[in-house]
Amino acid sequence: MKTIKKMRYNWEASVLGLMFQLNQKQKAKRRVKSGRNWKSEYLTPPLDIANKSKMLVARHILRGRHANERGKVAWVTSGAPAEFLKALGFYILYPENHAAICGTARVAEEISSEAENAGYSRDLCSYARTDIGSVLSGKTPIKTIPKPDILLVCTNICQTVLHWYRVLAHHFDVPLILIDAPFIYTEASDHSIEFIKRQIEEAIPLAEKIAGKSLDPQKFAEVINLSRDASMLWMQILDRCQHRPAPISAFDQFIQMAPIVEMRGEVETVDFYAEMLHEIDQRIAQGVGAVKNEKKRLLWDNLPIWYRLRYLAEFLGQHGIVIATSTYTNAWGELADLYDPEKPLESAARTYIYPMLNRGAGDKLAKMKRMIEDFHLDGVILHSDRSCKPYSIGQMDQRDRIIKDLEIPALLLEADHNDPRSYSEEQTTNRLESFVEGLGF
Amino acid sequence: MELTSAIPGRLETINTFKDDGGSVAAVFPIHYPRALLRAFDILPVEVWGPPGVDPSQGASQLQPYICSLVHNMLAFLKTGGLKITDYLIVPHTCDSLQGFGSILIDFVSPRQPVIPIYIPRGRRDSDVDFFAAEFAAIYTRLQEITSRSPSDEEIMGCILREEQADMLLAKLHKQRDGLPFSDLQYYRFIRTREYLPAENFSQLAQETLSQAGESQRNSGIPIILSGIVPEPMSLFETITDLGGMVVADDLAGCGRRLYPTGKSEEPFQRMAESIIHAPPDPTRGNSLQERLDHLLNLQNISGAKGVVFYNIKFCEPELFDLPILRKGLREAGVPSIPIEVDVNDPFSQQTITRLEAFLETIE
Amino acid sequence: MPAIQSLGIDVGSTTVKIVGLDAAGEMVWHMLEQAEPRVEHQIERFLELAKGETLSLNGIPLVSTGYGRKLVKQANRQVTEITCHARGIFREFPHSGTLVDIGGQDSKVIGISSAGKVVDFMMNDKCAAGTGRFLENTSSRLGVPLERMGEEALSVSEEHPISSTCTVFAESEIISLLANGTSVAVILRGLHRSLVKRIVAMIRTVGIVSPLMFSGGVVKNPAITQLLEEETGEEVVMPQRPQLMGAYGAALIALELAGD
Repeated sequence: MKTIKKMRYNWEASVLGLMFQLNQKQKAKRRVKSGRNWKSEYLTPPLDIANKSKMLVARHILRGRHANERGKVAWVTSGAPAEFLKALGFYILYPENHAAICGTARVAEEISSEAENAGYSRDLCSYARTDIGSVLSGKTPIKTIPKPDILLVCTNICQTVLHWYRVLAHHFDVPLILIDAPFIYTEASDHSIEFIKRQIEEAIPLAEKIAGKSLDPQKFAEVINLSRDASMLWMQILDRCQHRPAPISAFDQFIQMAPIVEMRGEVETVDFYAEMLHEIDQRIAQGVGAVKNEKKRLLWDNLPIWYRLRYLAEFLGQHGIVIATSTYTNAWGELADLYDPEKPLESAARTYIYPMLNRGAGDKLAKMKRMIEDFHLDGVILHSDRSCKPYSIGQMDQRDRIIKDLEIPALLLEADHNDPRSYSEEQTTNRLESFVEGLGF
Repeated sequence: MELTSAIPGRLETINTFKDDGGSVAAVFPIHYPRALLRAFDILPVEVWGPPGVDPSQGASQLQPYICSLVHNMLAFLKTGGLKITDYLIVPHTCDSLQGFGSILIDFVSPRQPVIPIYIPRGRRDSDVDFFAAEFAAIYTRLQEITSRSPSDEEIMGCILREEQADMLLAKLHKQRDGLPFSDLQYYRFIRTREYLPAENFSQLAQETLSQAGESQRNSGIPIILSGIVPEPMSLFETITDLGGMVVADDLAGCGRRLYPTGKSEEPFQRMAESIIHAPPDPTRGNSLQERLDHLLNLQNISGAKGVVFYNIKFCEPELFDLPILRKGLREAGVPSIPIEVDVNDPFSQQTITRLEAFLETIE
Repeated sequence: MPAIQSLGIDVGSTTVKIVGLDAAGEMVWHMLEQAEPRVEHQIERFLELAKGETLSLNGIPLVSTGYGRKLVKQANRQVTEITCHARGIFREFPHSGTLVDIGGQDSKVIGISSAGKVVDFMMNDKCAAGTGRFLENTSSRLGVPLERMGEEALSVSEEHPISSTCTVFAESEIISLLANGTSVAVILRGLHRSLVKRIVAMIRTVGIVSPLMFSGGVVKNPAITQLLEEETGEEVVMPQRPQLMGAYGAALIALELAGD
């Protein structure tokens, strides 16, 4: 019986994964054909590795289909210290990632309207609405998602996730582990770090009870090691974009970041990014850039506009503009140094208190200024994201300072990361066009 | 009733306190350690917006999807409304207040020191200990600024004084039925806790409670008011005009701040316990079930026939909880209605119609 | 001439309606006009005309409703349009159901119990995207008169989604679609769909109880009815005088006052 199950699992994970991938390819082809402004002559084709990341993600999704039968499942926020859950063998699902998949598959509007119909305001975060809509209606572009046995929420990215997970906890009637990460206005206090450490410490017994086993310290250290290695590789990949022309753009990064978010702490993820780095280095050696005729380089701030990635990449590509880096993709690698497998709890506490989103608006400005210098950038697009207040508040001052202090153009672009109803293509195009003119073409 | 007209306003209170040698802190919503500030002879005066400021002053630094309260706070500060204060205290209530505090520290750089307070989101021992440590850090900061070092006994004295005021506030809530106030007068009165020194508040509260008798209020359709802040205050007149009567509230600034007395003999710990164990509040550590149970309990005690969720547009902590709370109330046979406002807008006809129709429905 | 026993007046944002009932609660007289800027004068004129229909207004109870209900000083009582609509529709369909009323300035969805009571209701939010105004705003832009918009939308089966939340966004989207050569009818169908989707969100929040009843000025638009049926999978029923439901309900309440 066990063998049959295992066979079915392997078959699903590899064969179906492959089929899923082929299907994706065909879909992509169809999209190209039907795309209104697709001009591939401006953009270099995606990395070869792109197929592999799709495969990785597809396999992870397929594993999820049977996760409830095979073991325990945790739903986790993207910035949460999930390593102990990983080490305890939980299947980990990131509702934010799932929501982004809905966004890129252009079904977020339909799914979030299920939440709106149940009374969730349109003024709430569109990730949360997409997720809650999916939970209430069962709708998802990936057929099915496993139910949680436990929820892990960390407030180091926003308070929104806490309110959202309380709704999930009520709905599923499962325990909610809270790792509250005090916001850093200026510097992190010792008592804040101690607080996080203690919360992780106290969360472990509960997770162990649900998992039905004890946390193996060696396994824990191994997962932390793998997390660190993957994050470090990711950081190296991003830093390679300091090269002119940038070997990949932020749009590529947005797509390729799925494994670092979703599969942190796995061997395959480390292997994947090592391979990706290798291919990028080949591109650099050959002088190939993401945008064929790179003339100007930009910084992107805030989440992507998931449902218009292609359009924006094309629009900018046409003008020889590459978005060489973003504060968002950067957030998944910048803390790699802080992981320490020797001191798993202390280092986790430090790693998870310092994300950019848990720090002040001035800190983000300083970071952007450094990136502008390191990546030799000509301008900044700040996506003012209606759905992400903590990321967006402060952008008006940040923009102002960038323009005044660095004398480069910066554009505040109003949109929403997942809800196309808060986005106007006409307005966006208009603003981008005048911004492009301002870059000095 | 005459009492309300005799109550000093914010400005008068501030001036008196400063004349006596004290200083004043502008405190933004919601929870903070009053006694700790008073131990340094700082009077906390709360800033809930306020409504009626020129909001365009905040618009150059805050996107339109940030709530009107935060817009007004920034506008009020920038137009000199807080000139008279010596400190700005910013509790970490939500993402928007977090951003507000951050903008103040990094970009606005006001003359007054900006002191943020992180509010832990759980009700565990670790939360109490963290909160106490956070207060200790604020103590150190104030010690550096003021060169004062109040002793544990002094802080404890301040705590007891606040506890006395909180106890009387709870009594005023319990006995509101017998007070000679209209809804508007009642809320004007209890909201003096936002700026009066605890001892003054306690004195007024005792005088008022001594006048309490049998129910003196006009009968109306009993409702519970839930939300952040009842602004504009004309809300109460509207409710009265439409035949309604507020018999209990779940307002962030009012009913959610009926702080119980802390148990610990250690001052920071005691203040932390008190705030953490206050009635359920989405900006602190409460589950939806706790909030729902609390609302049902309020309904049970007060005999309210319905709940009005009076929400400020874009307020995520309130909006996330709304569907489950409304569903739970509905299942218990308690109708509710959400009303959405911008504190700068006058009451729209539509809002009035909604309230009126709701009252007609539950009558 | 049947004697008028009670009057209901509905002072809305775009139209003013008055209804007179006989002792049995049957509608025996009514009027409907576009709202004038000086509504008080219009109300007086209406009441004068009512007087002409009956011998005297003395003792005839009057209930006012609608946004301008407070302006009717002569009214014995002022009642919101939620209660009045529910009362009016229940007289015609005496069972539980869900009433959708789309007016010029706002829309409402009212859940009605089997006893005719309002169970729950919702009104559109501040923005005009869920009301008749949404169509009005685009009427001139598309060069299609308001009364023909629905038929025009139904003349094609193809539709272009208009996804935007607000009327201003929608307008810029329409401009770009026109510039791209998309046909007016195809845009119109998408526009109707967008409006209906917002209404359906309100319906689902209140909860659907069959039948779905539809009233208000917008019922004259056949596309809204059809798309409403498509989106909800429910058959939509309409009262005989869909625009008069508020005034009719007010008059019914007035009749009860007479009995008190």
